[in-house]
Amino acid sequence: MTRERVRVTAGAGRPGAPTRGIALPGAPVDDAEAAYARALRRSQLRLAVGTLLGFVTVTLVLLGALTLIPELDDIVLLGVPLSWLLHAFGFYPVIAGFAILYVRGANRNERRWRALRDEGA
Amino acid sequence: MNALLDLVAVAAVVGATVLIGAYGLRVSRTTSDFFVASRTVRPVWNASAISGEYLSAGTFLGLSGLVLLSGAEGFWFPIGYAAGYLLVLLFVAAPLRRSGAYTIPDFIEARLESRFARRVTSAGCLLIGWLYIVPQLHGAGITLQVVADIPPWVGAVLVAVLVAAAAAAGGMRAITYVQAFQYWLKLTALLVPAVLIVFAVNGGAPDIDPRVVFPAEAGPSGLDAYAAGSLLLALLFGTMGLPHVLVRFYTSPTGGSARRTTVLVIVMVSVFYAVSSVIGLLARVVAPDLARPGVADTVALVLPARVFPGIIGELLTALVVAGAFAAFLATSAGLTVSLAGVISQDVFSGSVRSFRLSAAVVALVPLVIALLTAPAGLVASVGIVFVFAASALSPVLLLSIWWSRLTARGAVAGMVTGAAACGVAFLVHAAVGGVGLAAPLLAQPAAWTIPLATVVTVVVSLTDRAGAPVSTGAYLARLHTPGRG
Repeated sequence: MTRERVRVTAGAGRPGAPTRGIALPGAPVDDAEAAYARALRRSQLRLAVGTLLGFVTVTLVLLGALTLIPELDDIVLLGVPLSWLLHAFGFYPVIAGFAILYVRGANRNERRWRALRDEGA
Repeated sequence: MNALLDLVAVAAVVGATVLIGAYGLRVSRTTSDFFVASRTVRPVWNASAISGEYLSAGTFLGLSGLVLLSGAEGFWFPIGYAAGYLLVLLFVAAPLRRSGAYTIPDFIEARLESRFARRVTSAGCLLIGWLYIVPQLHGAGITLQVVADIPPWVGAVLVAVLVAAAAAAGGMRAITYVQAFQYWLKLTALLVPAVLIVFAVNGGAPDIDPRVVFPAEAGPSGLDAYAAGSLLLALLFGTMGLPHVLVRFYTSPTGGSARRTTVLVIVMVSVFYAVSSVIGLLARVVAPDLARPGVADTVALVLPARVFPGIIGELLTALVVAGAFAAFLATSAGLTVSLAGVISQDVFSGSVRSFRLSAAVVALVPLVIALLTAPAGLVASVGIVFVFAASALSPVLLLSIWWSRLTARGAVAGMVTGAAACGVAFLVHAAVGGVGLAAPLLAQPAAWTIPLATVVTVVVSLTDRAGAPVSTGAYLARLHTPGRG
């Protein structure tokens, strides 16, 4: 960031390029940096939506198994039908699993962004 | 039931809350201490506090009651609550932590540069928070009535006064420690009886017929697809719109730690829900006679004495009562602190003194509502809150984090549409019951109100000639990029 500023100041001092380096209010200070930030936001959104779709798919499969396989009602463990046990306890490991997968992916995206930014600076 | 023992348990929880709150008061010094605990709370403590605050009367008493009353469909509530945190993690946790704002209205104002959008958001937060505190106060009333035959208003007043005092005294810092303690208390209070009763039931009375206690038509296969889907949608998206859930992310030191905290929260609330589901299953075995509306919510309190006559049952009941009180206190305290933050910054100057005044005002309004209304099913009342949050606040919150073309006008239109659609659906449903094909749409409106609010927000934003604020790009970059270092 500091290095960029030095270059811009020098550019503004040269005749023939008087408007270079004047920042409009709200305009991104550094195009490359803004592009990296946008890319990071997109990849995080892709990751989040992908994780959500994965979670919904697994949930629907589990739900389908519960509603479409009547045999699950007949298997009884500790006095409770397996279908009830799966409904009561089966979804939490799925939720936690997708949460852990997402955090790994999100951290990886941020590491990539850091590497890009440090390369560009 | 031993009323004296149960009242001692309530007194012990109240005493511990006051003591830990007083410790928090000693370390709360500045305005920022009051609002967000100075962002120095460690992930494990923060996750315990978030879980402690999230597990309300609705899950502590209501879940087992609902499983007893209507069977496996009751399991959808805790699954939805836990999955709601997954959506918070995916879309909200880290960006909101990086926003640097104290409350959701703060965030909306900073993002959209509009005082008006802020005011509408604040009104939404207040409405949702108040609707959520009312069932907590009802739960406190029911509990004292069941265990000690005390009129219900006493429990409601007790919780409201305590919460207002604790919040006014110590702000978020004190509340963080109180709630972390209350998570572990709530877990213990259900886990110990659950384990003991499982052993007792499996050792003593194997003469139950699973087909009678767990009939297939009340099981997972007897599912109403629209109702379950719409409910799940509301629970999934509602969590991020609850005012006391978001304010917690401001207490994590960085965006990355906010994410780690959220994963811990998902694990912690899941463990609690699993234990609570065990109680629900046991209730069907041990106390099928309590499967009546209005009475079912008390089954977790009654269960231990049914299985263990004598002193062991009485001690276990006292433990459950203590946990239930921790649930009412924790959720209403968390809501009171975040709502007081909203009011003190919107109406007053945002100082520590105005925060204290706001805490009193915030606790008084739901107390009046609770005293004027009769308790409905705890889970159903909490479910309505989630539908409201999911329709009014969540679409706008998601779009403000991820969509650069959102405008203040679009956000306001979306919030008003979402809230109005839910309000009309619930009022019409309450007034006329069901209108043929429209009945399920009115009873569980989330499946159409959430898309409606989202579409209105997007369309109004796109046709808004003023356009998005010029600093949107820079602000979004700040939300989504980790800090330097």
